[in-house]
Amino acid sequence: PAMDKPKREAILDLSKYVNTRIRVKFMGGREVTGILKGYDQLLNLVLDDVEEVVELPKPHTRILGLAVLRGPTITIISPVDGFEEIANPFAAQE
Amino acid sequence: ILPLELIDRCIGSRIWAVMKNEREFTGTLAGFDDFVNMVLEDVGAFSGIKKTSLAQTLLNGNNICVLIPGSSGPDGA
Repeated sequence: PAMDKPKREAILDLSKYVNTRIRVKFMGGREVTGILKGYDQLLNLVLDDVEEVVELPKPHTRILGLAVLRGPTITIISPVDGFEEIANPFAAQE
Repeated sequence: ILPLELIDRCIGSRIWAVMKNEREFTGTLAGFDDFVNMVLEDVGAFSGIKKTSLAQTLLNGNNICVLIPGSSGPDGA
């Protein structure tokens, strides 16, 4: 239970996402969402109510619960709120 | 909550580790280091649906994506 140091070197201020649901993608293609409960300077995260979005064999989610996400393998962090899927702008038009 | 503290509290209990690839490991957490390499006992190693059992293992933290404390893993045994 350390006090947050006033000088942060992190480029992303995770304190504003605490208690909100975020989407985290990993190297290797895994993707999870969960409620941010804690983090450290190395970008390890503590998420609650974690669900993993699994593509194969068919898209489904599996419930993981309370988990630690390892900073070194994380590629993207974004809020779930305010996220929408759009048509593929790069798809070749027939 | 600090992530590494949560892992530390899990020492002595079951933990489930999900790797970058399609592998998962469950075991009793004996300890870990600054890089979260982990020593696990009574390990189940899952590749897809195939499960192997191992005694005491050192799990390389390089490929770990997700750690779930207190869980028996994908088959919930």
